[in-house]
Amino acid sequence: MAAGMTPIIQLAGATVERSGQRVVHGVDLTISHGSWFGVIGANGSGKTSLLRALAGRLPFAAGSCRVEGEELAGDRAGRARRFGFAPPADTLPDALRGRDVLELVGGSIDAARLRLGTLHEALGLAPLLDRWVGDCSAGMRQRIAIAAAFAGGHPLVILDEPFNWLDPVATFDLRENLRKTVDAGLTLVTALHDLGTLASACDAGLMLADGKVALALDEDALRIAARDPQTFERQTIDRLRSGSVTQA
Amino acid sequence: MLLTALALIRSWFADRPLTVAAWTALAAGAMIGMWAGRLVAKRLAFHAFDGLLAEDALQPQARRRYIVAWHGVGLALLASITLIARPSLLILSAPAYLAGVLVAGLANGFGMPHRIAGPVRPGWTILAWSRRWIAGASAAMILLLSLLPARVLDTNVLMAVVGIEAVLLALMLARVDDAIVRFMTIAGSGSRRIIGYHTKGLAAFLVVGVTGCWGMLGRSAAGIVAAASAAMVLLLTLRILAYRLHAKRLADLLVAILAGLLTLVAYAMPVALPVIILAILWHLQRRGRTKTWLLA
Repeated sequence: MAAGMTPIIQLAGATVERSGQRVVHGVDLTISHGSWFGVIGANGSGKTSLLRALAGRLPFAAGSCRVEGEELAGDRAGRARRFGFAPPADTLPDALRGRDVLELVGGSIDAARLRLGTLHEALGLAPLLDRWVGDCSAGMRQRIAIAAAFAGGHPLVILDEPFNWLDPVATFDLRENLRKTVDAGLTLVTALHDLGTLASACDAGLMLADGKVALALDEDALRIAARDPQTFERQTIDRLRSGSVTQA
Repeated sequence: MLLTALALIRSWFADRPLTVAAWTALAAGAMIGMWAGRLVAKRLAFHAFDGLLAEDALQPQARRRYIVAWHGVGLALLASITLIARPSLLILSAPAYLAGVLVAGLANGFGMPHRIAGPVRPGWTILAWSRRWIAGASAAMILLLSLLPARVLDTNVLMAVVGIEAVLLALMLARVDDAIVRFMTIAGSGSRRIIGYHTKGLAAFLVVGVTGCWGMLGRSAAGIVAAASAAMVLLLTLRILAYRLHAKRLADLLVAILAGLLTLVAYAMPVALPVIILAILWHLQRRGRTKTWLLA
């Protein structure tokens, strides 16, 4: 975290269990207000479980979770109310239109559109509003799901692998727009598989391996990564292969 | 189990007056037909889009043969059960089954997959429309208009007609999509909001239908419409609460068992019915409260 930046989310010893199995083990992290925090890791490393627990969609089994200074580890609903969260695209009901999804999450469609701002155009939502979700492609569903995270107007947003299924143009537009929105004050937490996006767009991040922090990436580390993305990618892939638990 | 079920069905039909047995056979045949129609249509859509038999599933002739073959099996099974239960009812159950298949076909589309993938989705459109106030008000107007010529009937027959029409119309307004309930739960909606979202049509039907029937046919008819609407609201509420807790099949089974239990209580101990209903709703609501926002 850069000096002078205000921490808005602080996890200490955060532990998550699913079906009785511990999938996230004692994760510590601090996220600054108005920053983009990226979480990377291999499949099954605990990224989704960690983000869902932070968003109040799963309980924490142990540890501390402070959001805007308030301890919310034991208050799942309290966390859920604090964060905008993109539901998995496959949970969007076929029998709803894009407009219905946004209205269920954000009230009226006009209010949702206002809160989405320039993201509305970046996500190409206009033609999706009157389209049945069941008639949407995977990429279209993903765009509606991302829009749902912003429809409630939350200043804290969590997106789990938002660039999955998006075409290159949509990926570029979304990434640029998210960066602008973060610069305007949004605090964004995303799970990512794209190391280029982590290096070029995120302010800080961490790598998870087997549910533990394998590598913490602060602003300086990502600045260096952005200058030499190939070296960063090689080093990161090596760490992902080995799953070593170290601090950068 | 099958033999026991058949014996129970035969015993039930044997003890009933012909009119009751006939209406039951008609309703059961139509509902089974609709269910089977939807099932076959869904399976065919799967074959057309995701299955290994897509080439066959896209040919009109093969599609027709597939539909006819499966409904032949369904009709044969229904006919066998009817013959065991009460052979004279075959004249009603078989046409009712076919009518049900026709209704399901009109709702889901018999046509080629380009209709399934196109923007026109009659099933989803009707489902979305049934949740609106205007749908309930329209259904109530249909009820009232259809009862205008029925006023000349004998009182008992008239009340039976009112009851059957009210139940059928309310049933159409009480449709619930389990995926929507689950999505709303993940998005943070509590039981009350989800039930409110689904009952706008039924509420409008209740208000307009009861008021209209009271003015047109008196308070007995209004009471029947109110009772039918309330029963459907209860059924819809049970389904929503169950969908918050369980996957669709388990939830539907649970609701079927609870509906059966409530029917027994209503028959044997009507005084205890409100208490039992409240206890069931409270229990389901209490368990479901922990599911809000949860994404396991």
